[in-house]
Amino acid sequence: MGASLRAARAGGRVHEMSLAMEIARIAEEKLGDAAPQLVTVAVDVGDCAGVEPSSLEFCLEAVFATPPFAGARPHILRCSGDVLRVAYLEIDDGRPDD
Amino acid sequence: MAVRTIEVRERVMARNDELAEQVRSRLAAHGVTAINLVSSPGAGKTTLLEKTLGTLGEELDIAVITGDVQTQNDADRLAVHTRRLVSAVVTGGACHLDALQVMTAIDAIELDQTRLLFIENVGNLVCPANWDLGEKEMIILFAVTEGEDKPLKYPKMFENARRVVMTKTDLLPHVPFDMDRAVANALSVNPKLEVFRVSALTGEGLSGWFDFLRDSARPVTTSG
Repeated sequence: MGASLRAARAGGRVHEMSLAMEIARIAEEKLGDAAPQLVTVAVDVGDCAGVEPSSLEFCLEAVFATPPFAGARPHILRCSGDVLRVAYLEIDDGRPDD
Repeated sequence: MAVRTIEVRERVMARNDELAEQVRSRLAAHGVTAINLVSSPGAGKTTLLEKTLGTLGEELDIAVITGDVQTQNDADRLAVHTRRLVSAVVTGGACHLDALQVMTAIDAIELDQTRLLFIENVGNLVCPANWDLGEKEMIILFAVTEGEDKPLKYPKMFENARRVVMTKTDLLPHVPFDMDRAVANALSVNPKLEVFRVSALTGEGLSGWFDFLRDSARPVTTSG
């Protein structure tokens, strides 16, 4: 976990922010050194998940603007049920298109 | 540029749930029954625990973890009623406890000398419903000073609980609270709910609560 995430976790959190931090932890775990290349983080949010999508999006924007990330954009995918999961990550590896 | 997609499909709560299972296993290994007390702020969690500790604290070897956004006032209040350590978790803004906090807090508790562990959650009827703490069960307190429709407004919490404790019943003559309607609302959300009606102030109804706790706490295992 990056130092900035640790600092943010130690400070004030609200529900959506704590979820955003957990989503960032999952993304960092998946990407490792490629974290700065993350451009999109897609999250499935069910209508019964107890989560306010716009608030979660706001928190994700804030969290993914801090290192090791470099401004990845959240993409909230609304669905039914109580699902709350990281759907996929998009990274730009800097290589030209095939 | 070349954008590559990485499929993840990982539940956001997966890590918390994994830690909660570790807490559950650890408590089970020591024969500790854990109860997660939740409610709106001000429903009487700390007062009910004060009375519970005063009567059963030693009999059932009760330990307590309190969660508050700020201050350890609740832990200080409870410490008066027990010789045991009351472990305070100050969440620093978070509206609920999580399994990692409970895992850390139980490090300070002598589990071998504990039969019943109360986790007094942060007063909030929304977020704690999502965070498994490794408890055996979640119990909701519902005060007669609240609206009868609380179970309908916050159904997830009532769905996840097994029992609801109606508190402050001494105030019933003074408030326009329809107990039957409130209980009916709770049961409409979760028909399996067991309902207690108590006044921690007068002691009315506490004997039923205490009997339930005696049944819940495992007997002390004797060695040899």
